[in-house]
Amino acid sequence: MYLTVRNATKLYGSFTALDDVSISIEQGEFVCLLGPSGCGKTTLLRLIAGLTDIDSGEVTLEGESLSGLPARKRGFGIVFQSYSLFPNMTIAENIGYGLKIRDTPVNQINTRVTELLDLIKLPQIADKFPGQLSGGQQQRVALARAIAVDPRVLLLDEPLSALDAKVRGDLRDEILQLQRALGIPTLMVTHDQEEALALADKIICMNQGAVVQAGTPKELYQKPATRFVADFMGTSNLIKTEVIRSFMPELLGMRPEGDDELYDACIRPEAIKIEPNVNGDALVKSIGFLGNLSKIKLESTLGDLIVEVHGAIDLEENQNVSLQINPADCNWVLNDAVETAS
Amino acid sequence: MKAVSSRGFDGDKLLTITCVVIPLVALALFFLYPMYIVFIRSITLPDGGLGLQNYIETLSSTGFWRATRHSMLMGLTTMVFSVLFGFIIALGLHRCSFKGKWLIRAVIILPLLAPSLVQALGLIFLLGRNGVINRFFGLELDIYGFWGLTIANTLYALPQVVMIISASLVLLDQRLYEAAEIMGAKPLRQFRDLTLPAIYYAVLNAAFVVFIITITDFGNAAVIGGDYSVLATEIYTQVIGLRNFNMGAVVGIMLLLPTVISYYIERKAMQRQQGKTSTNIQPFVPKFMPYRDIPMAIACYLIIGAILAVIGIVVYASFVKLWPYNFDFTFKHFDITLAGGYSSLWITIAISLGAAIGGTFLIFILAFGLLRLPQKLSQALQVLAAMPAAVPGIVLGLAYILTFNSTSTPLHVLYGTAILIAAINFYHYHTQAFLTVMTGFRQFPAALEEASSTLGAGLGRTAISVIVPFIAPMLVSVFFFLFMRSMVTLSAVIFLTTPQLDVAAVTIMRLDDAGLTSQAAAFSTCVMAVVCLSLGIMKLILSMQSKNKVGAA
Repeated sequence: MYLTVRNATKLYGSFTALDDVSISIEQGEFVCLLGPSGCGKTTLLRLIAGLTDIDSGEVTLEGESLSGLPARKRGFGIVFQSYSLFPNMTIAENIGYGLKIRDTPVNQINTRVTELLDLIKLPQIADKFPGQLSGGQQQRVALARAIAVDPRVLLLDEPLSALDAKVRGDLRDEILQLQRALGIPTLMVTHDQEEALALADKIICMNQGAVVQAGTPKELYQKPATRFVADFMGTSNLIKTEVIRSFMPELLGMRPEGDDELYDACIRPEAIKIEPNVNGDALVKSIGFLGNLSKIKLESTLGDLIVEVHGAIDLEENQNVSLQINPADCNWVLNDAVETAS
Repeated sequence: MKAVSSRGFDGDKLLTITCVVIPLVALALFFLYPMYIVFIRSITLPDGGLGLQNYIETLSSTGFWRATRHSMLMGLTTMVFSVLFGFIIALGLHRCSFKGKWLIRAVIILPLLAPSLVQALGLIFLLGRNGVINRFFGLELDIYGFWGLTIANTLYALPQVVMIISASLVLLDQRLYEAAEIMGAKPLRQFRDLTLPAIYYAVLNAAFVVFIITITDFGNAAVIGGDYSVLATEIYTQVIGLRNFNMGAVVGIMLLLPTVISYYIERKAMQRQQGKTSTNIQPFVPKFMPYRDIPMAIACYLIIGAILAVIGIVVYASFVKLWPYNFDFTFKHFDITLAGGYSSLWITIAISLGAAIGGTFLIFILAFGLLRLPQKLSQALQVLAAMPAAVPGIVLGLAYILTFNSTSTPLHVLYGTAILIAAINFYHYHTQAFLTVMTGFRQFPAALEEASSTLGAGLGRTAISVIVPFIAPMLVSVFFFLFMRSMVTLSAVIFLTTPQLDVAAVTIMRLDDAGLTSQAAAFSTCVMAVVCLSLGIMKLILSMQSKNKVGAA
C-alpha cells in the first residue's frame, strides 16, 4: 500500500466531519472519493494534503508516517475546483513556481514548462496571465502546475465541477490519459458518480463522515452494499423484503439472513424485462424517450418502478405489461436509511 | 392589448429620461459649473481679462511656496506613517490569528465618525501645554505645528488606509495560499510571492489617498497647525481673510493635481483586479503562529490604543471640571456659551438629513435610469457621475463660494442657505454613494425585472415593487453614509457658513478658537454621539432587512 489513512477522525466543534476513516491507495492507482456535499470527502483530501490537522489517526506514505510534516514538505500536487492560479504570475511562472522554490536552474525550469505546456496542448500561452484564459484552459494550467514537480501523490479537489459540460468531458479524458501516462497515484474528490465511474480504478463512497463502500466502479454499481450506495450510484428500484416475499418470492434466494428491515432489494432499471401482456399486473404510467434509451415508469405490485430499455419501445401509457427479473440481478443491500433515521 | 403595451412603452421611456435628466442637470449645476467657475476665476485677471498672471503671481509668492513646502513635507510624513500603520493593521486583521479583532475593527472606524479636528483636539488635551503628559511629567513639549499636525492627520487617515488595503487582501483566496503551500512555499515566501504583489496597487493607492486628504484637510490644520501654514489654511486665508478669490482659485486648481494622479493609479489598480475576482472567494483563515502573531497583535493594539486615547480623551475631557487640574465630573461644558449654543447642531442634523434624503433619491433614479440607456452613453455618464471624488472638499467649497456668491446668476439666491450646504455635502460624496448603488443594481437579476414586466407592470411599478426592495440595503447604507459624512465634514463647508448659518464642525472650531476647549470637546462629543447613534440605527435596520430576507427565502 502506497498511501494509507488509518482511523482518521476530525471534529469541527460538535460536528463530526470524519469518523474513524481508513482508506488506501496503491502505486499508480486512480482513486475517487465520491459522496454528497458535506460527507467529509474534501476534509479527507485536506488531511492527506496536510492542509487540515488530523484529530486522531494517521496518514502514511510508503510506510512512513506523515504526522507533523507540514503540507509544503509532503511533495504532493493539488488542483482545486476554483483553478486558484496565482493571478500576479504569468502561466509559465505559475507552472514553474514549484521548481523555482526547489531552486531548480532557470533553463531547466524553462524546458520543463515548455514540455508541460505541450503536454496540456496549450503551447502558446506561456506569457499570458490567468485572467486572460478560459476556465478550461486555467484548469489545464493548474494541472500542469501540480505535476511539474513530479508529485508523490496528485490530489484533485472537484477539478471539473466549475466547467461547462463539453469542456468537462474533454478535460476528464485528458486527466485520465495524463494519469495513465505518468502513473502518479491520484486521489480525486467528486460528487459526480458518472465522473467517478469513468475515471477511477477504485471508488471510495462516503456518507456522513464515514466510508460506506470501497471497490472498483463495477463492484459499486453491480453489488452496492447499502441503500445509500445503490441510490447514489445511478438509479435503482429499492424494494422492501416483505413486498418481495409476497409478490416475487423467487428473488429471495440470494438474500442474506436477517430481519425484514435489515435488507432491501435493489434492482437496476435495465435489469427489469417487460413485455406487453393484457393480463400483466404492471401498468405503464409514463414513457420518456431519451434517444439511446427509453425510461418507463410503472405501477406494479412491487410499487412504482423505473425501467430502462435500449432504444425506443413499442408501448403506450396505461398499457398492461408483465415483468421478468432474473434473481441474479436482484441485489440485497443493507438498509442504512433505517440507521441514520433513528 | 397592443394599445396597452405601446402606451406602456412610451411611459417607460419618458420615465427613464426623466430619471437620468434630473440628477444630471443637478450634477451639472452643483458640480460641473462650479468647477468651471474655479478654473475661469483662476485665469481671470484683476482687470477682467484672461491670463496666467495669477499663477505666476502665486508661484512667485513666498507664502505659497512655504505653504506648499509645509504641505508636501507634512503630507509625505503622514503618508509614510499612516500607510505603515494601516498596513500593519490590515495584515493583522486579515493575515494573522489573534484575539480581539472586533475591538480593532470597532476602534479603527472611530476617526471617520468624528469631525477631523477631533484628533487635533485630543492631541491638545494629551500633549498640549495643558496636556496630561506635560503636566504629569513636568515637560514643556510643544505639540502645535508640524508634529502635532502630522500625528493628528495620521490618525485621521488611518481608517482609509486600512479599508483600501483590506479590500485587496480579502480578494486573495485561501486556496491560492494552499496551492503555494503544497508546492513547497514557506510562509514568508507566500507573503512575498502572493500577498505583496496583490496589494501593491492598493498600498500605492492608499498612499495617494492619504496624501490628498491630509494636504486638503482643514480641521486639524486650523486647530493644531499653529504657525505652520499649509495649503488648506493658505486658501482659507486668501479667500476669507484677504478676499483674494482669484488667488484662492489658483491654489484650488493646483490642489487638483495630485488627485488626478491618484485617480489614474486607482483606475490602474481596478484594471489589475479585473478577471482576478473569482465568484466564490474562500476567505483566508490564518493559523496561529506565535512568532508572527504575538508581535503583530501588540503592534495593532498599540496603534488602536493611540486612536482610542486621542478620541477618548476628548469625550473624557468634556466631562471634567477643569482640564487638567480638576478631574471632578461635571456637565457644565455642555452648556455652550458661544452665541447660538446648540442651534448649529440641530441645523447640521437637518442639513445632513436633507443631503441624505435628497442624495439617496437622486442617486437611485440616476442609477435606475442609466442602466436603461444605450451602453455607450450610459458608460460615459457613469464616468461623469464618478468624477466628484476627484475634487477635494476644500476645492469644491471654494468653487461653491465663487459660483454662488456671485450675483451674476440667479443661483445667487442659494447663497447662505442650508440647501446649498446640503448640496455640497451630497456632491462631495456623490461618487461613493453612486458606486454603492450601482453595485446594488448590478447584482439585481435581470430576470426579476423581466418577470415583473411580463406580468404587465410598467417600469415605474416594477421599480417600486421589485427593484427598491431588492437594493434597499444599498439605499440604507448610502442614506446613512451621506448623513454621517455630512455631520462631520468641515473642509467642504468652511467657506459656505455664515454667522447666521453655522454647522457643527465649524462651531467646534470657533469654540476652540475662543479658548473654550472643554466646550469644543463637549460639542464634539455631542456630534460623535449623533453619528454613533445613526451608525447603530443603520446596523439595526440592515440586520433586520437581512433577517426578513432569510425569513422570506
